[in-house]
Amino acid sequence: MAENSREKFLEVRDLTVTYFPEGGRPIHALDGVSIGIGAGEVVGILGESGCGKSTLANALVRLSPSHAKIEGMISFRGRDLLTLPVPELRAIRGRDISLMGQDPALGLNPVMKAGTQIEEVLRAHFPFDRKQRRVRAMELLGEVGFDNPAEIYSAYPHQLSGGQRQRIAIAQALSCRPALLIADEPISKLDATLQAGIVELLKRIRRQNQTAILLISHDPSVFAGFANRIAVMYAGRVVELGTTFQIFQQPLHPYTQALVRLASASVITDAKPRIKFPAIEGESARPDQIAAGCRFETRCPERMDICSHRYPQEFFPEPSRPVNCFKYGE
Amino acid sequence: MITTDRGATESFLFVKGLCKKYVRGSFWRKRVAIDAAAGVDFEIAAGRTLALVGESGSGKSTVARCVTRLEKPDSGQVLIGETDIADLDGRELAPFRSRIQMVFQDAVTSMNPSFSAQEVIEEPLLLDSTAGRANLTRKNRSELAAALMEEVKLSPDWLRRSILHFSGGQRQRLALARALALRPQLLVLDEALSGLDLSTQAQIANLLLDLQAAHGLTYLLISHDLALVARLADTIAVISAGKTVEVGPTQQIISSPRVAATQQLVASAEASASNLAAIMGTT
Repeated sequence: MAENSREKFLEVRDLTVTYFPEGGRPIHALDGVSIGIGAGEVVGILGESGCGKSTLANALVRLSPSHAKIEGMISFRGRDLLTLPVPELRAIRGRDISLMGQDPALGLNPVMKAGTQIEEVLRAHFPFDRKQRRVRAMELLGEVGFDNPAEIYSAYPHQLSGGQRQRIAIAQALSCRPALLIADEPISKLDATLQAGIVELLKRIRRQNQTAILLISHDPSVFAGFANRIAVMYAGRVVELGTTFQIFQQPLHPYTQALVRLASASVITDAKPRIKFPAIEGESARPDQIAAGCRFETRCPERMDICSHRYPQEFFPEPSRPVNCFKYGE
Repeated sequence: MITTDRGATESFLFVKGLCKKYVRGSFWRKRVAIDAAAGVDFEIAAGRTLALVGESGSGKSTVARCVTRLEKPDSGQVLIGETDIADLDGRELAPFRSRIQMVFQDAVTSMNPSFSAQEVIEEPLLLDSTAGRANLTRKNRSELAAALMEEVKLSPDWLRRSILHFSGGQRQRLALARALALRPQLLVLDEALSGLDLSTQAQIANLLLDLQAAHGLTYLLISHDLALVARLADTIAVISAGKTVEVGPTQQIISSPRVAATQQLVASAEASASNLAAIMGTT
């Protein structure tokens, strides 16, 4: 199934990212993460704040902060991005692999028109002249769902709504027809009414351009009907991997089970007022205080003695269905 | 316009005909008046929760700001019990300021970053003139701050910690502790759970339910998230273009929305729910 059957054009192996902030303790943001993405595939990364998902997104395009130490390998079409010389990396970043961040307000330059910002990306990668760039920018604005591209082209970010800004960010990310789009929490900062539109747009892009998408979110429902596979991350590590169907129908790791239970509790037609959510107790593990054993142990309703002593290795209760939990072996 | 019947239940907050316009523009640009609120009506019974829902720009935050008197309404009534606070000012308004508190989205970013948790919680105690907290000794204040931390499930050991070290969810808990310092009767929660992880939202929503049960708090909840609203609110008021377009019990609004604005909101929420239902095989 998943990891081996389809050829992966992006392979991450044992990626470990440690931050060394000035005057603070080292932060183990990512710890031995391995994942692969095939052409046109949508892979979801499910995890809460602090699990390392944004660290992963940034590391994939080598945009980690300067105090970060990165180990492991990121192979893109056979080349290791971590050791690539900068000019070659620059040719890939934005063109073959593009990243869109979670906050549409922060990602855009406030003093540049929207259209010009899309053209900036084109200018960096293609030898178009001004006229060609403008034509392409207008086309992209149409592709991301604007009925009035000319108006939007000339607008400044503060004149646009959150949903519109996010579409501009998508237009930028798509401008060079990348093989992989990394979408880091693309809808979490948007109003509920705008979220579905952005997800539909991403689906359409994937259908039309065969763009692979690495979709990062803390909300399981984003992946339903969209992602092919989901990797569940907790405190810097992948703890479970499976197809979307498997993850939702039969989640294995207690953390995944709790998240799926929570997501289904959010279905509004079932809810009655004053009934509590099935919340997960406790706080997420702090990345500067990593325990020796399982990192979810303190919050796990099924914890056993062994869980605090040893980190659970990968078990395979089914083929191609890795899960790091002692429930499935020793 | 919706007419609400005042008589039936013990109403804590009664809003009628609330109007507020903002004027955009200045010397060199044409001045344009925008009707942020153009006739809003709703009431909340004591100890209950009303959710104000509507899309971005519909006027929900304006209503919140008028109810808490961060803004003065242009017209309309805001009745707390028997008193209309819409027109009050200065000393007459002061006692109501401690009875109504507000919690914002990402509240801590609007706080002084050099403060510790203790300073954030104690600030209202130091500024208070009407809730009877001004006479507390330093020791009493500390004890109260510690008790409030515990109430919001934060460890009192963290009182001296800088607010910068708190996570997003912890920060919202801190904002709640601060809001409770003056023992308010009404909490206005303006997208107070937005932008938080699903798991954190669930924890804070549960905390809100606990606090309401413990203190008999009345909540005005502003949220675009119907899943949260469905669990927290007894009543929903739908705002569109500055007006109340539909008001009713939560389950009724969700199961049979009458007007277009409401139907759109419910449809958006149900769209993501149906994807989930499909994949989980539950329909």
